[in-house]
Amino acid sequence: MNAPSRRLATGVALLLGARGAVATDLTLEVSDPDGKPVADAVVYAAPVTGTAPPVRPKLRAIIDQVHKEFVPRVSIVQTGTEIFFPNSDNIRHSIYSFSPAKTFATKLYSGREAAPVLFDTTGLVILGCNIHDTMVAWVFVVDTPWFGKTDADGASTIKGIPPGEYRISAAAPAPSGNLKSIEMTLRVGGDGPQRQSVSLLAGG
Amino acid sequence: MRIQRLQTRIIVFFVALLALVQVAAFWFVNAANSRNAQEKVAEELNVGQRVFARLLDQNAEKLKLSARVLAADFAFREAIATHDTGTIASVLANHGARIGAAAMVFVDLDGNVVSDTLSPQASSHPFVYPELLAKNAANASMEVLDGRAFQLVAVPVLAPLPIGWVVMGFAVDDALASDLRQLTELEVTFALDTPQGRRVLASTLDERDQQALLGHMPSRSNTVSRLVINIGGVDHQALVIPLDQNDSARIVAVLHRSLGDALAAFERLRNTLIVLAALSLVLSIIGSVAVAGNITRPLEALASAAARIEQGDYSAPVNLQRSDEIGVLASSLNHMRSSIADRENRILKLAYEDPLTDLANRSRFSNELELAIAQATQGSLKLTILMMDLDRFKYVNDTLGHGVGDHVLREVSARLQQTVTGAECIARLGGDEFAILIKHDQARHAGNADFVETARRIIAALEAPILFEGQPLDVGTSIGIAHFPEHGRDAQTLVRNADIAMYAAKRNKTGYATYEQHYDTSQQEHLSLLGELRSAVERNELRLYYQPKVSLRSSHVSAVEALIRWEHPTRGLVPPAQFIPFAEHTGYIKLLTRWVIREAVRQCGEWLREGLTLQVSVNISARDLMNRDLPEHVAELLAEHDVTPGLLCLEITESGFMEDPAHAQKVLDRLAELGVKLSIDDYGTGYSSLSYIMKLPVQELKIDQSFISRMATDEEISTIVRSTIDLGHNLGLQVVAEGVEDVAVWDMLRKLGCDDAQGYFMSKPLEAHALASWIRNNHGQFSCLPSSGLPATSHAAEAAAKG
Repeated sequence: MNAPSRRLATGVALLLGARGAVATDLTLEVSDPDGKPVADAVVYAAPVTGTAPPVRPKLRAIIDQVHKEFVPRVSIVQTGTEIFFPNSDNIRHSIYSFSPAKTFATKLYSGREAAPVLFDTTGLVILGCNIHDTMVAWVFVVDTPWFGKTDADGASTIKGIPPGEYRISAAAPAPSGNLKSIEMTLRVGGDGPQRQSVSLLAGG
Repeated sequence: MRIQRLQTRIIVFFVALLALVQVAAFWFVNAANSRNAQEKVAEELNVGQRVFARLLDQNAEKLKLSARVLAADFAFREAIATHDTGTIASVLANHGARIGAAAMVFVDLDGNVVSDTLSPQASSHPFVYPELLAKNAANASMEVLDGRAFQLVAVPVLAPLPIGWVVMGFAVDDALASDLRQLTELEVTFALDTPQGRRVLASTLDERDQQALLGHMPSRSNTVSRLVINIGGVDHQALVIPLDQNDSARIVAVLHRSLGDALAAFERLRNTLIVLAALSLVLSIIGSVAVAGNITRPLEALASAAARIEQGDYSAPVNLQRSDEIGVLASSLNHMRSSIADRENRILKLAYEDPLTDLANRSRFSNELELAIAQATQGSLKLTILMMDLDRFKYVNDTLGHGVGDHVLREVSARLQQTVTGAECIARLGGDEFAILIKHDQARHAGNADFVETARRIIAALEAPILFEGQPLDVGTSIGIAHFPEHGRDAQTLVRNADIAMYAAKRNKTGYATYEQHYDTSQQEHLSLLGELRSAVERNELRLYYQPKVSLRSSHVSAVEALIRWEHPTRGLVPPAQFIPFAEHTGYIKLLTRWVIREAVRQCGEWLREGLTLQVSVNISARDLMNRDLPEHVAELLAEHDVTPGLLCLEITESGFMEDPAHAQKVLDRLAELGVKLSIDDYGTGYSSLSYIMKLPVQELKIDQSFISRMATDEEISTIVRSTIDLGHNLGLQVVAEGVEDVAVWDMLRKLGCDDAQGYFMSKPLEAHALASWIRNNHGQFSCLPSSGLPATSHAAEAAAKG
């Protein structure tokens, strides 16, 4: 995980912590059906009751292109986030998406010529490069601020979740493009677990 | 015929051999080529199959590439991503046309057909070949869509993850088959094989061949099968390759190649071979005809040469200039030809030539005469034949031996050849008998004077003595002449008449005589006399006459010479000259001599009993001296008639013992032992020397009358007579003179001291009783006075009778 994203996460946690002392951290351990921990899986929690906190303006994310790959390959952002596509390669790219959650296409560009794209609809957006077919990036657009990505051990800790009933989702794109995911309802806070194992279902 | 067959056999053999070799060669070449063609086609099929597979793969790759390019098209993906079906259909049609795909289908991720250019109006339905659809790879396969064959390529559409598949179908049609044929050089047919039946999808063949091909296709198989099929009468090697594994309807590719095409090159070779074979057959026929001719032509020449030799034509040699076996054969044949010719000449010489004189022999002379008569009968030719023999040849031969005789004959031949020119044939008929045939033109020879002249010349030529080792031999000749056609129209008559003329000449001592009719009759007389002579003894027609021998000293008559006479019942007295020579020739003389001796001895005995002691002389011939039984016979007779052997005197001529002196000597010795007196008769006419006579047991020598009759007039002869008498006396012989005819001779002989005389002066031969009377009347004495009263007649016949 690079530095800006860590800063962003820290920021989210601080925000949650300032809202209520009862907020808890939830660590999710994601494994595939075989029980192996899955890295780069996205996890997020949405309150079952009540409404999610409003979208805050000026949310931003970056998906870089390095050596004809999107970096990161898997991203999760809250709706309303502007994603920047800086080009670190010395060749040009042309990024597009036909995903219903966000359809767009950039012209061929170099460096930081591309304008940021606002992801304002929840859903999975799959990014490609029009001239490099092998480049694929997954962007999960969620309407909750409580989300994260598993580390190399398959664990991700969502911090500052107010207690309550949550629908916990986990998903990970297989290299083949298939998406493995799971959803579960979990009580967070109180006597709720602070660590929860999640086993992904094989995706279709 | 045989030669023809030999030639045919040679030709047939060589041509058949060549044909056999060619057929064998042709068969091997054919088999090898056929195998090669099949192997070549098999190899071509293998290569073709690999090329075909590779081409299909390459085609699929190319199509995949095209499909991928299309699937990556942003606008196309955008249309799909936005589910704009109208746009999707138009894009499919557009891109399909761009890359030449006959069918374009878009299938969504669920496997449902979203759009299909083959049936644009169809509602969504699952894609029929879901196995083609793979998210991360492009697949290609031969499949059937709407009854047509396509090479289908399914490519996932990525955005960038798969959002569906675009399936492109490229028609498997005749054009594709043609392309493949161009590259593989094989006929290519795509066929659909369903349980309901088979049909051709695409092919390089025409309709008829396609049906033929379908009929030969094997039953469904999952592997490549290889087979031979017959299309349009031509064998093809074929590979049947299943292109998909669909169970219900399978697409198969049939690759095949005509063996005919592969064999075409060989067909050309084979045609060349056939032409070469035909050409070489023709050449071999010509060649073997030439070779056979080369063998048989000289053989024919040899055969005709042999045939010529067989017919007796030795003139033409076989002319074959060859160094081979036939040449050797020809040369042998030529040698054989000349050898046969030589031998035949020798045989002819032996058959027709007298080896002693090289003159023609009797056969040759007869042939020539027959031939000449045949010619003369047709034309105006005349012929003359001269027959001759030598007068004294017998004496020469008998006394001097055959060597001298042969010499004489050769010399006579040589003189004849020199003397007689223009003769058709000069022949020695045998012994001392010669014949000359002369052909002449009647016009040229008006008379017969020419031939008389010829005869005279011959006689003249033979008058000159023939010398033998320096000794002169005197041989005279008698010649008989006969003319054709006057004296005979055939050879036999002509020869006989010439013979008769010759005897006439001899008889008449004229030297030569031309045939005259009356000769023939006298000749005939001789012949019939001879026949009658055989019975004369039995008929008692023979008589003995006796001529006294008178002692010149005492005029006493103590001996007589018995002389034979034939009292023929019709002819009267036949002189001895007319039958004695014939008797000698026929051998009848032996019988005659026997009779004479017996009669003489009997008469002698009779006279003895009458008191008349007379020695009786009997002439015996040379043939009698050959008779070993003669001495015994004489002894028996003497004993039978009680006659002292000394009263019998046997007179022999010189030639009598010259024929076989040794034998004669034995007989004479035996007779002498008996006590019989022996006398040499006609001394002086032969050639025997006294020194030889000395060895013989003779007591008496009789000088031939030819000397005695001439001694009174010829001084030389008288000298010879005197010396002969002296010689005889010196040898101890009693000398008798024959042919004393007058008192002058009588007186001369008495003066010369001759012992006895015999002749008409004293007495002619008398019958036994007349002689006895004559002796009694003269008291045993001869008085030389003329008043003796005895007839004095010619005695020529008497002399001849003693021959």
